[in-house]
Amino acid sequence: MRPGRLIAKAILALAGFLAVFPLVWTALNALKNNVDIITRVPRLVFTPTLANISYIIGRDSVMTGLYNSVVACGLAVLIGVVLGLPAAYAVARYPNRFAGDIQFFVLSLRFLPPVAVAIPLMVIWLQIGLYDTLPALIVTYSLLTISVIMWLAIPAFQSVPKEIEEAAFVDGYGAYSVFWRIALPVAARSLAGAIAFSFVLVWNEFLIALMLSSSNAKTLPIVASELSQQGMNVPWGILNASVVLLSLPPLLFLGVLSGFLNTVFRQKKT
Amino acid sequence: MRRRSFLPVTFLVPTLAILLVLSMVPTLYAIVIALQNRELSTPGYSWVWFSNFADLFLDRRFLNAVWVSVKWEIVTVVATMVVAIGLGVLMFEVASPRLRNIYCLLFIIPVLLPRVSAAFVWKFAYHPLYGIATYPYRLVTGGLIVDPLSKASTALFAVASVDVWQWGLFFAVIVLKLLETLPPQPIEAARLDHARRWQIHAYVTLPMLKAPLISLMFVKMIESLRSFDLIYVMTRGGPGVATETLDMYAFSQGFIESGKVSYASAMAVLMMIATVITFTMLWKRVQA
Repeated sequence: MRPGRLIAKAILALAGFLAVFPLVWTALNALKNNVDIITRVPRLVFTPTLANISYIIGRDSVMTGLYNSVVACGLAVLIGVVLGLPAAYAVARYPNRFAGDIQFFVLSLRFLPPVAVAIPLMVIWLQIGLYDTLPALIVTYSLLTISVIMWLAIPAFQSVPKEIEEAAFVDGYGAYSVFWRIALPVAARSLAGAIAFSFVLVWNEFLIALMLSSSNAKTLPIVASELSQQGMNVPWGILNASVVLLSLPPLLFLGVLSGFLNTVFRQKKT
Repeated sequence: MRRRSFLPVTFLVPTLAILLVLSMVPTLYAIVIALQNRELSTPGYSWVWFSNFADLFLDRRFLNAVWVSVKWEIVTVVATMVVAIGLGVLMFEVASPRLRNIYCLLFIIPVLLPRVSAAFVWKFAYHPLYGIATYPYRLVTGGLIVDPLSKASTALFAVASVDVWQWGLFFAVIVLKLLETLPPQPIEAARLDHARRWQIHAYVTLPMLKAPLISLMFVKMIESLRSFDLIYVMTRGGPGVATETLDMYAFSQGFIESGKVSYASAMAVLMMIATVITFTMLWKRVQA
């Protein structure tokens, strides 16, 4: 058994290393001068520079992309919360004969290939005159955020103990105040996970943003991918710095999301 | 106890109405466009009905894209599940609770990255001369060059490895959590019967988890359809058409090469029909 366990531990350690090392390496490259990146033998020791990072932060296109990403994702998530949470609560707590169909409809939106949605929307936004604007992107992303938040919030609301809500009814609370004052606060932790997940999903979205923007409404992933298309003339350090900037916001949610995973599976156990 | 209330109506109807409009308008419009001959460069158009679809079946590049997409689906789904189950079981067997928590955090990181970021990270890593992933090969062979992204035989697998890096590690965490929810008695019983560790998992724990594992595979099949970002950044469908999936080909027909929006839309409509039918059938079977 001994050597087996040792091998198993080694495999796990290797997997853990592979999970983060590429990212760490990218972050290191963001701090390197070009001569330290373009080497046959990878360099671990080098004189760090902040030039790449300050170049990225100083570029108008990157800052516009960052602004567009924050506004488009922020507002789409807000719309998702306002429309998705109440709908999820209604499905979870007021079962009717359509509940199963509604859940399947919401899930099936995820089956739609993004190209199939993006092409017609591009034509539609062009005709209305909203192509390449943030409102068009926000409305399109709302479809994603509403459905994802709804899908994840239904089980979150179902796991709120029914007794608490019943007690509130006895105390004379109306249906709406039970939702506001009882269900929302009790389910808050799981709901935060669902909301964070929907944010990460739209922040990372690429294809739809690529098709719906040409200059004004480009989001950060699009700007980052364009940096690379200027060929190898662009110093690699700058590209690495833009990858780091793009990756930071989703990683901020690491704690919330892993906590969310834990609560989801702890419920299953009971 | 619960009184009759209008809450379900006020909470559900606006949201569902908006979802219906937002999803049905583009879906139906995609079909309309597919039956016309719109191009980005010219404003006028006429109805050509099914000729776009007829052209598709004579288009060898389209047939290639179908094949590449199928290969992509199979490779990524199978590899993800193998990695997830393998690492999940290993964590369950040999990692202490503290170590498990650390691994879980580490393994979630890749999937949180924007796919564009993940694609860049690995595109650099696979660089034949300066990449960190090709360095061991250069070291061992004394400077020979390997370029996985520009060889037709390896490009698809190189891109798929990034997808598995993101999803396989993440699913390993879920497999571990699923194993932790199992009751300990059957495992104890098997151990008393002198079953080996791998036998316990092959014959006891994994069969007990069959339903959630199938759901997990279902999720991965849906997410594998979203390969565009990775392929767009890493290979642009190349070398040649070796990694050109359907969405990549639709995009390049519609936007890069010729601006044939209707032709691209016809392709998208076929994809949509295929995926909706397949996944609806699968979902009903998973639920049953």
